[in-house]
Amino acid sequence: MGAPATERTRTPLGWALGGVTVVVALAAVTRWLEQTVPDATEGTAFGDFAAAIEYPVYAILLGLLGNVVLTRLGLRARLSGGFRTEFFIKTGLVLLGASINLAVIISAAGQAILQAVVLITVVFGFTWWLGGRLGLDDKLRALLSSAVSICGVSAAIAAAGAVQAKKEQLAYTASMVVLFALPSIFLLPVLAGALGLEQPVAGAWIGGNIDTTAAVSAAGAIVGEQALQIATIVKATQNALLGVVAVALTTYFALRVERGAGEATPTRSWGAQLWERFPKFVLGFVAASVIATAFTAAVGSAAAKPLISTVNDLRTLFLILAFVSIGLEFRVAPLREAGWRPVGVFACATAVNLAVGLGLATLLFTGFAG
Amino acid sequence: MTTPDPDVRRARRTSLNEDWAATIVGLVLLTLVLTGLLPGWLVP
Repeated sequence: MGAPATERTRTPLGWALGGVTVVVALAAVTRWLEQTVPDATEGTAFGDFAAAIEYPVYAILLGLLGNVVLTRLGLRARLSGGFRTEFFIKTGLVLLGASINLAVIISAAGQAILQAVVLITVVFGFTWWLGGRLGLDDKLRALLSSAVSICGVSAAIAAAGAVQAKKEQLAYTASMVVLFALPSIFLLPVLAGALGLEQPVAGAWIGGNIDTTAAVSAAGAIVGEQALQIATIVKATQNALLGVVAVALTTYFALRVERGAGEATPTRSWGAQLWERFPKFVLGFVAASVIATAFTAAVGSAAAKPLISTVNDLRTLFLILAFVSIGLEFRVAPLREAGWRPVGVFACATAVNLAVGLGLATLLFTGFAG
Repeated sequence: MTTPDPDVRRARRTSLNEDWAATIVGLVLLTLVLTGLLPGWLVP
């Protein structure tokens, strides 16, 4: 998600724990602001605005603020081992599964798979083509295409492994993903409101467009609970297709790009590679939905409700930790080093993603009742 | 294939480990709440 992977070299455990402490402290401030500001400002000129600010806004802004302060103090890189956006968001999403009835996942699965397949194919193809026209390196094209069409940094990491990209290319792609995701968190909910999109359509649009899973959750939470659920189902579906794309890239680079240089072809079976790259948290998300649905059926809705509500509070806590980490991880330096062409490719691909995603979401999710 | 960049390899391994860790932690927390071992008042 942020610029994580590559900048983080092995940090001593003490520093990593320090990083986690920073994340938890900022999350506590987020929770306090979220619960205090609306009441404290009620009846004032700022009151309506404050009441509309959701927790992702506080969390990301505090994360960015912490990023600036820690960078100035020279501590950010050392503490970055504790900024575990991927872990926090995936744990939050597994918990989110408990609040979604299994019937909703099943009824949305067909549309979600269709949208994901079409969107990934169109956006990946366009980004690959445009990157080629602008003369980008094949490996960077693969990273950018995967990141913008599938699921941001997770996809970039998988693609980097598949095509043997350099760490600088991964750091660059990761920074660009966050650079585009941060404004999207706020812009897409506003646009969805301006366009009068129903919650399921807005959720599908957000899930299909914003690259990082954490940012999808943030934007979905701003729109509303149903939008968050559909956005998560759509994004989880895209995540699940990551393995297919990674295996295809591995094969393509082995057979077409590197064979010319006398390289060997990969020896592992497709099945083994698919399983290795399959995002396992998607299984946890579905398992949580199965467990909660069965539990509710067994004990009754009235008894299950307060317990599911506690699970939802836990989910919110993990999402806050993830959003704080996004802000803390963001780096500008790799973007400066790479020049304008990859940024141009990414921007154009994002525009195509927005347009095609809006069409698909409207077509597939209008009138979705769950 | 060319030798993988060690940083990229490490990032990939970390990502896979975090996938499993998140799945396990999420399901354990869910189980604790549903069985009443983690009461609501403990969650801020």
